[in-house]
Amino acid sequence: MSAANAAPITATDSLTQALKANIIPNQEYLLQGSVLDSAVEVLLHRLRGLCDNVDAGPETFDDQEVCFSLRDPNQQAAPLMLRVRKALDARDMPFQLRYIGQPDLGDKNRPTVVRSSLDIACSGMLIEFLNELGCRIEFEYSVKGYMFRKGRMKITVAKVFKISQSAMPPEPISQSYLVELSVLAPTGQDAIAEDMRAFADQLRPLVQLDKIDYKRLGHMPS
Amino acid sequence: MQREEKQQEAILQAILNRVNDLKTAIQALITKLETEYETINWPTFLDNYAILSGHLTGLSKILQAEIAPQLRSLVVLPLQLGCKRDEQLAQMTEGRVPACTHDLVPDLLRTKPEPQAEQRLQQFNHKASTLNYDTAQKQVAQFTKVVSHVWEIISKERENWEGESMRASGIQPTHNMADTHALVTAVGTGKGLRLGMPAIVPGVGGPGMGPRVPTPQMGPSSQTMPKAPSTIKTNIKAANQIHPYQR
Amino acid sequence: MGVTVLQQFPVPENKTGTYVIEMLSKRILALGATQQGQFLVDCESYLSHPQMGTTKTVHILHNSEQPASVFSILESGNKNIHVIADGLFDLFMIKLSQHYTSKKQTKIESKGPRFELGDFCIKLGSVTMNQSFKGILIEVEYRPCVTANAVWGLLREFLQGLLGSSTVIQPPQHLKNRMSEIYTPIDTVHQYLELFSAYRKTTALRVQ
Repeated sequence: MSAANAAPITATDSLTQALKANIIPNQEYLLQGSVLDSAVEVLLHRLRGLCDNVDAGPETFDDQEVCFSLRDPNQQAAPLMLRVRKALDARDMPFQLRYIGQPDLGDKNRPTVVRSSLDIACSGMLIEFLNELGCRIEFEYSVKGYMFRKGRMKITVAKVFKISQSAMPPEPISQSYLVELSVLAPTGQDAIAEDMRAFADQLRPLVQLDKIDYKRLGHMPS
Repeated sequence: MQREEKQQEAILQAILNRVNDLKTAIQALITKLETEYETINWPTFLDNYAILSGHLTGLSKILQAEIAPQLRSLVVLPLQLGCKRDEQLAQMTEGRVPACTHDLVPDLLRTKPEPQAEQRLQQFNHKASTLNYDTAQKQVAQFTKVVSHVWEIISKERENWEGESMRASGIQPTHNMADTHALVTAVGTGKGLRLGMPAIVPGVGGPGMGPRVPTPQMGPSSQTMPKAPSTIKTNIKAANQIHPYQR
Repeated sequence: MGVTVLQQFPVPENKTGTYVIEMLSKRILALGATQQGQFLVDCESYLSHPQMGTTKTVHILHNSEQPASVFSILESGNKNIHVIADGLFDLFMIKLSQHYTSKKQTKIESKGPRFELGDFCIKLGSVTMNQSFKGILIEVEYRPCVTANAVWGLLREFLQGLLGSSTVIQPPQHLKNRMSEIYTPIDTVHQYLELFSAYRKTTALRVQ
């Protein structure tokens, strides 16, 4: 009886415990690539053969993602980037608030991009909340495509659309589908990166999944 | 004693075989050159050369074997020279050496390299001994550089050829690196997705839809929509934004 | 989650908080309730930097009744915006530490035993802020019903019986405008925040 009546552990305490035990998935391992529209069917067939969750056909998704930035007026630190993703095909699902850190590029031997990432499901008036918090909208886009799963790995094949302001349907920004292979894991589980690289090799030469440094590319003249 | 004799005989036999093979190969090459000199191509010619070099390697292997040094201790001495035709000799040499004459024997039983070769070898030795260390090093480095440069050129060409052969056989490229980069930068930094200046915070009160940000320029600015982003366009974006995110 | 009402219980001048909790527990147990463990509701507040314009406060609340959720209420002027999120939201607030600093001294919590009596769930909480005792909060939930309108009479009667006829039972400020809406856990959290904010302004009371 006394154990059942013991004081409940506070949320901050349980979080600290979880952090110490290194079970909170706060890192994302990522590989990206693309496939032309003409070849996407072949890729989907290959993924259906390789992946787990395809009993009733590949899982589709249709999301809208908005990227916010929170600037610091006094310090010159880089602004904090936050992303909110909501499902357009399942309006009752919670929003996903995502914080993505800078990718860790130091090690050339790492097979994948590693960056810290926090995924939080939210409901309520998240966009207003962020606006009141002081965040500004940087950009937004919608993604629509297929999601596959293999063990802990998540593979998405999706088309990225630019959301237009008038009632016109969103237009795609390129003739290719974006392919992403990612795993959310606690810090220090680098073995999963090797598994990811092995899986990525199975998709060659259809798709070349690699670590791509978008910050460096962003400065290159297009 | 007998065992050594037997060994010698065996070695000699082996050498003889190898030399015969070499002879046939050279013969074949010469015939080829003479008869097919119009149709022969470089790879075939190289193949024949490869056969020759194979035979030479075999020969040198035998000579390097442990039993071979014994041969060094043996000397072939002509016991009798004559101008007469010797049938036995002719038969043994397939008609090439009819008699043990004075002019043939020095050439056939020669142990030193032939005069021209010897002279050139001497020249090289002399040159090598006069070089000092630094020059030699430099020359070696240059040589390595040239070789690696040639290697690079060859590997690049090989890649190109392989790519061409793939395309020629009908395999279409299934991904475009430029597209990959465009997509990744768009998703990561918003390149190509931004509309110019950031949106104004909408003034919303309570759960209902708040008052729209007044944009009296709504009418004329709809014509500027397809043009490059301007502040007017951004205001419209702010007004529209209140709507999609209300639950 | 049924309709929940939060009531302050005044601590008499010469009595301690523990005494009051014991007395109320005895009353509840005498009614036939059974104790089902303890509960904990805590609140931590983050203030925005002055350079960011008008000061905004973000309150982060946890309720042991919804252990996998974190409730967050942003107060800006007269506007209250709430977000209900995963447990990782706390880590997110840590990431925002550059912009919003936590005021550790105002961390306030209500903790105590939890009883179940038929369809009712009663929680007796002693409110403490930084180890100093502030008061007693009683939370009563009527689980089957989700509209305040329908059940207000029943709850008032129950509370009157529990707390004695001297105390005046009024609908909580937060619920007054929402009597006919579906009740959700965030409404409980709002009530807690109201009362916690009031408690923050008062001085400490004796504990033992």
